[in-house]
Amino acid sequence: MPNNNSPKADFSDVQSGSSSTAPQASPAGGRSYTVKKGDSLSKIAKREYGDAQQWHRIYEANRDSISNPDLIQPGQVLQLPSA
Amino acid sequence: MDARMKALALLAAAVTLTGTGCKKGSSGTAGQDVGMASTREVSIGSVQLGRSLSGDKRVSGSTDKFSPRDTIYASVETSGAAPNTTINARWTYEGQQVVKEDSRSISPTGSDVTEFHISKPSGWPKGKYQFTATVGGSTQSKDFEVK
Repeated sequence: MPNNNSPKADFSDVQSGSSSTAPQASPAGGRSYTVKKGDSLSKIAKREYGDAQQWHRIYEANRDSISNPDLIQPGQVLQLPSA
Repeated sequence: MDARMKALALLAAAVTLTGTGCKKGSSGTAGQDVGMASTREVSIGSVQLGRSLSGDKRVSGSTDKFSPRDTIYASVETSGAAPNTTINARWTYEGQQVVKEDSRSISPTGSDVTEFHISKPSGWPKGKYQFTATVGGSTQSKDFEVK
């Protein structure tokens, strides 16, 4: 029986990286964005596209990694479609 | 002499016709690549975890047991080709807490290996972890433990 009151582990100092034998894909007009503390999809959309309602474009472009659009995590890497 | 010239002309025509069979979109024999760029759905073949990498991006010495100070490598073998596809990597702790999420956009050309790695200078909490790689509709996970 897991103890739901136990504090979460702190992974804020985790460092990561990647490399591949495959060539890196050239960005097709989009770019990646690392989620910061306090971000939401609508805040990112407002900042990047000037319209918070565009959040669904970011959501659609990242359906593989976002299960709940109201719940994104700091450090999560999102692909931002071109404006 | 005329007959010989006609035969040579026919032979040359036949060589010309068979030599232009490699066009984009044409298929090879039984799905094999025939030495030209093609697009096949990219899928994950296997995922291996380890403490170090070899030159071909594969882990050397696959294991699922790690120490708190280890750098943890995951090598993801993919097959298939695409001009632009994204491999998503997700590391979780004790079933639900997200440790790290990463992604890498690649142009795979057939059989490729992509590695993701994580480290934690202050040391990993002991417990059970999971690494999950996703590309398109293909997903594979690997459990591991820090002792």
